[in-house]
Amino acid sequence: MNDRFAVDDQRGNHSMTHERGCTIWFTGLSGAGKSTITEQLVPLLKQRGCKVEVLDGDVVRTNLSKGLGFSKEDRDTNIRRIGFVCNLLTRNGVFAISAAISPYKAVRDENRALIKDFVEVYVKASLETCIKRDVKGLYKKALAGEIKEFTGISDPYEPPDNPEVICETEKETPQESARKIVRRLEELGYLVPAGNNGDGYSSQEEEVVKQRLTELGYL
Amino acid sequence: MIGNHRRKVLVVGLDCVPPELLFRQYRDELPHVRDLMARGLWGELESCHPPITVPAWSCMMASQDPGQLGIYGFRNRADYSYDKLSIATGNAVKVERVWDLLSRADKKVVVVGVPGTYPPRPVNGVLVSCFLTPGIESQYTHPAGLREEIAGVVGEYMVDVKGFRTEDKDWLLRQIYEMTEKRLRVVRHFLRTKPWDFFMFVEMGTDRIHHGFWKFSDPGHRGYEPGNRHEQAIRDYYRYLDRELGELLAMIDQDTVVLVVSDHGAKKMDGGICINEWLWQNGYLTLHTPPARPTAMDKCAVDWSRTRAWSEGGYYARLFLNVKGREPQGVIEPRDYERVRDELAAKIAAIPDHQGRPLGTQVYTPQALYRATNNIAPDLLIYFGDLSWRSVGTLGTGAIHTFDNDTGPDDANHAQQGILILHDPAQPGGGREIKGMSLYDVAPTILHLLGQTPPPHMIGKSIV
Repeated sequence: MNDRFAVDDQRGNHSMTHERGCTIWFTGLSGAGKSTITEQLVPLLKQRGCKVEVLDGDVVRTNLSKGLGFSKEDRDTNIRRIGFVCNLLTRNGVFAISAAISPYKAVRDENRALIKDFVEVYVKASLETCIKRDVKGLYKKALAGEIKEFTGISDPYEPPDNPEVICETEKETPQESARKIVRRLEELGYLVPAGNNGDGYSSQEEEVVKQRLTELGYL
Repeated sequence: MIGNHRRKVLVVGLDCVPPELLFRQYRDELPHVRDLMARGLWGELESCHPPITVPAWSCMMASQDPGQLGIYGFRNRADYSYDKLSIATGNAVKVERVWDLLSRADKKVVVVGVPGTYPPRPVNGVLVSCFLTPGIESQYTHPAGLREEIAGVVGEYMVDVKGFRTEDKDWLLRQIYEMTEKRLRVVRHFLRTKPWDFFMFVEMGTDRIHHGFWKFSDPGHRGYEPGNRHEQAIRDYYRYLDRELGELLAMIDQDTVVLVVSDHGAKKMDGGICINEWLWQNGYLTLHTPPARPTAMDKCAVDWSRTRAWSEGGYYARLFLNVKGREPQGVIEPRDYERVRDELAAKIAAIPDHQGRPLGTQVYTPQALYRATNNIAPDLLIYFGDLSWRSVGTLGTGAIHTFDNDTGPDDANHAQQGILILHDPAQPGGGREIKGMSLYDVAPTILHLLGQTPPPHMIGKSIV
């Protein structure tokens, strides 16, 4: 057991609790799957009693960063603000999830240095795939020149060098990606390792159980 | 008291305990049960349909019916082929149960042995999976390291008894006691060492002892022999459980509400109805080659192109129709589906006992029982003799009635009524009997006691 979970309860017994949170920092192109994976991840964390807050890119821009544009400077300011809030949440035991594009490496690394308990998740999908998905219709507008400074089209995206997790959304389902993140959080000591993270039930196991059920008269 | 965050709930689950034994026959010999009843609320708890361990405990803890869960028994049709049945493990339960909801509400939970929890899913606390765990070499706990902790407490934990279908009753009895003793040692260990707001365990020994020993103690059972040496086996086990219950009650505080619940009841088994034999003899099921000796249905050469219906055996029967466009070699025209089903329901309900007397068989359509029919429901559910007779799937028996169970000795069947006792130190019930409770009421009651609002999809209601 990782020491971060080891605390003494009121009776003086060794038990487990979540004393520290972390920031799960998604980065990836628009349409790569950040929000979709977040939707799958949140219940998995809450199920374990984690306190979770999501700072979704769109929501942040209509509240925390209202008025900011999409120049490099404004984008960096936006990401620094999200990082500031994530840091406050993280140090109070919350699992803070940032699901903004956050295209620039330098400011992501600034946040990593600030927060420390920082788990970077690169949500990887090719630009072609994201254009095909175009859930919000933004690529169509960007390609038509209606949106300026659009990441991947008219503004650069800098993928991380050493993210803690890479979710390849062209190859894995959102559920698989979310479980991959949970397993990494376990490895990093932010979650107590689970007996099972929703993995399967082997055919050999099924045969053993079937035999027992037959003996018990249920079959 | 709603919203009082100090309040805790301990649920003692006893699989298969019938009101006849706990509330009437043995009550005076069970001081702790008697005391909880005298100070709390109690009554019969109607099970789901079918009253079978799987799905009953999941229905209880999700407050949803088997059709809503899409789990109709231990095995369910995985598709419309004739032979693909999948075991309903915890993976089949797609909805949140009480401990999931409480985990998300930041309540600490301890869950031990509740059927429908293997493979174990993470919770905000600890979870030990159920008797459908293949074995203790499987990863049967959450968190993973808990498995070693359990081994340190009891050595080799027992998820269930082994070799249940045995005539060596002394051996079976020893196994039941060993399993229960180990589980309760783990329960006491967790009560001492884990933080919890909700603590639930299910003991399967009650089910195993009923099935294995009913005929020795019930003078109404055809196999009963007065003065047999196992006559007190079930009674003694209940007295043992009561002493164990007393130990648990001594470990909890005045903020803890205690519930004792069972998922269904039990009754003597009078015999078996060979349902596939009946379907064969009555022209609904056709075989390429008649079996020379009693043979399991899945080993028989069924001519599906000339078969209209077949059934699965078990404590109750699930009957399936072979429908054109649905099953691979379906023969019943969809427009004839209702007519054939009604015809079969009426004929099966009329099957008499071995002496020609009415059997009192109940036949249900899933649509009549459930609010939804997710996954693949049976076309009919049949309780022979109101579950006094089991369903036997074997073909080639030469007779409709049998007194030799096809899967080995078994003396008891399940019954619709289970039990509930609730004792809340803060609000004593004064020994009041509550009528009309259902298994679906348990989850809303627990949530209510812990200050949570039951989600609207729960079909039961809080009894407090």
